[in-house]
Amino acid sequence: MMLAAIQTDESLWSLEWLPRLPQRLVEMLLHKLGASEWFVDFGGLLAAAVTVVAVFLGAFALLSLIERKTLARVQNRIGPNRAGWFGILQPVADGIKMLTKEDIVPARAEKLLHLLAPILIGLPAILALGVIPYGREWTPVSLDLGLLFFFSIGALTEVSVFMAGWASGSKFPMLGAMRAISQMVSYELPLLLSALGVVMVTGSLSLPEIVARQEGYHLGFLPAWNLLTPWGLVGGLVFFIAALAESNRSPFDLPEGESEIVAGHMTEYSGFKYALFFMGEYLGLFAISGLGITLFLGGWQAPLPGLEFVPSWIWFFGKLALVIFLFLWIRATFPRLRIDQLMRFAWLCLIPMALLTLPAAAIWHFTGRGFLSWVVTVPLLMIPWGILTVIFNKRLAPATRTYRFADS
Amino acid sequence: MIALFLLTILVLLAALGAVWNARPVHAALLLALALALHAVLYLMIGAHFIGLVQFMVYVGAVAVLIVFSLLITRPRDEEEEIARRPRTLGVGLLCTLPVLGVLLHAVSRFADTGPVATDAPAISLERLGTILYTTHAPAVLAVAVLLTAVMIGAALFAREPGKKSSVSPDP
Amino acid sequence: MTPLALLLTLSSVVFVLGLFAVLVRRNAILILVGIELMLNAGNLNFIAFWRYGPPDPELTGPIFVLFAIAIAAAEAAVGLAIILMVFRHTRSTDLNKLDSLHG
Repeated sequence: MMLAAIQTDESLWSLEWLPRLPQRLVEMLLHKLGASEWFVDFGGLLAAAVTVVAVFLGAFALLSLIERKTLARVQNRIGPNRAGWFGILQPVADGIKMLTKEDIVPARAEKLLHLLAPILIGLPAILALGVIPYGREWTPVSLDLGLLFFFSIGALTEVSVFMAGWASGSKFPMLGAMRAISQMVSYELPLLLSALGVVMVTGSLSLPEIVARQEGYHLGFLPAWNLLTPWGLVGGLVFFIAALAESNRSPFDLPEGESEIVAGHMTEYSGFKYALFFMGEYLGLFAISGLGITLFLGGWQAPLPGLEFVPSWIWFFGKLALVIFLFLWIRATFPRLRIDQLMRFAWLCLIPMALLTLPAAAIWHFTGRGFLSWVVTVPLLMIPWGILTVIFNKRLAPATRTYRFADS
Repeated sequence: MIALFLLTILVLLAALGAVWNARPVHAALLLALALALHAVLYLMIGAHFIGLVQFMVYVGAVAVLIVFSLLITRPRDEEEEIARRPRTLGVGLLCTLPVLGVLLHAVSRFADTGPVATDAPAISLERLGTILYTTHAPAVLAVAVLLTAVMIGAALFAREPGKKSSVSPDP
Repeated sequence: MTPLALLLTLSSVVFVLGLFAVLVRRNAILILVGIELMLNAGNLNFIAFWRYGPPDPELTGPIFVLFAIAIAAAEAAVGLAIILMVFRHTRSTDLNKLDSLHG
């Protein structure tokens, strides 16, 4: 039965079948038991969903440790090293601590909404993780409108953040929620617009299709990823910055700026509910990085010719690790923005650049994607970028502060 | 059909809550729920693209905007609202029940002779795009102009009159 | 009851609920809530007729709904901007208190 379940078009040693194994096993088992076709499909989908959730919950536990370790190394500390070997059991210890803590609901809170918000906040991230193609044969749910689904389900995050902030019935959560919503709404625009260029060139909203179209190599070694085109480079950068803001990561972490408003909309949460917020945030981070990889970094495609023998999902998770490390690196390096700088940056810099990638992508598509396309699109994007940089540096950048007591 | 019926009841309950709840923020959240359930309804009867767009625009933008302006204005008229309830209900029903009667009468007259349900006609995205950008291209351009105008207009409206502006402060 | 009749009944009732909110509410933002409900009832009609009505190869129903959604978003944005501007003058969104032309 095991062998029958792993039967695929490809060889046994490619290991492409491994992530699909639970789904296939469940389907076969239900089939043997004589379940109806609908029930077999349903069981298989459920197994696929459980696989994705299990993988990303494991990744979440690992990341919560790696983040602390990385930040510690950047700040010349050691980081958690008490629980287990190199602190490897720290996530378990944190989990036990969170689960056994007292669950406090403020007296002035709206009980129902206060309870509903942490449940709702993880939902969009988990649903969004379901449509991303992780490997050549591993797309949990393949939707024709996958990209649209990803963005529309993301709208739920804003509502649940508002519910958390408002239902807590105190000041800091409210301020945090207002900051978070205005930030999310502003950065959703460049995020969508930068993804639109990819859709225009691919001609499809289906994520597996977008990855499949990035197959092959230029000049024999340069992967045909969207990032390695003029419009894709600009779009990818805009997408990355907007994704940082969308997932409330530093330097855009104003909604939960610890030194200003405690923990933003999560202030009044404790114990397991707080852990749910934490989990939702990290799963959202995985989802949006996965989408960025799918759109711009070639998804599960190998980075060099001759490396295709490595299972494709290993490439996907390798790229994911790299992108997440970039997130951590930026968090350890940059100071937090002010709210007016944040808004100005979104509306005056990111949105114009994201809009410019659309004509650039169109020109790229209709001039044959060759030398001529490079000649036309590079100036089209570089000149406005230069102008915006000059404006931002000269006019809009905050004046250099002079510190009276810290100039030793 | 049963699922459709249950969903219909849920939509009605959410809409009723949005209309009747005395707490403004609850009403707005119930509106978001009602709009999201509309999107689910569209997905269920096969209009996938419309359903997802509905979810993105209404839940992600319109409901959030409404909730956000409730946060800024902080209306506190709950007790007053509840006190006016009996009078309000009477007047409201007096005005709306005839409309409902006419609509339901029309629906019932139509439903007897209406066409029979068939399989869901699939919207091919390519076909939708082709029709949208050929037959309806002028309308798309008009909507684009409208949306640009709205963006600029809303930004101008919402701008806090600064010290430089000639608008005098409240007398 | 056919699905078409069910959906048309739903949309009539939702429309009337929206109308009720517009007539009864005093808070301008909550009146906007009613308007959104009424617009959605209209959209639901278009989708219902596209799905269960006579064949519609030109996809008139869904395209009309797309335009309606775009315009509804614009309407909400402008409406709320106006309400916020009025609120800044009078510190209230109660329409019954906004009875003077002089701000």
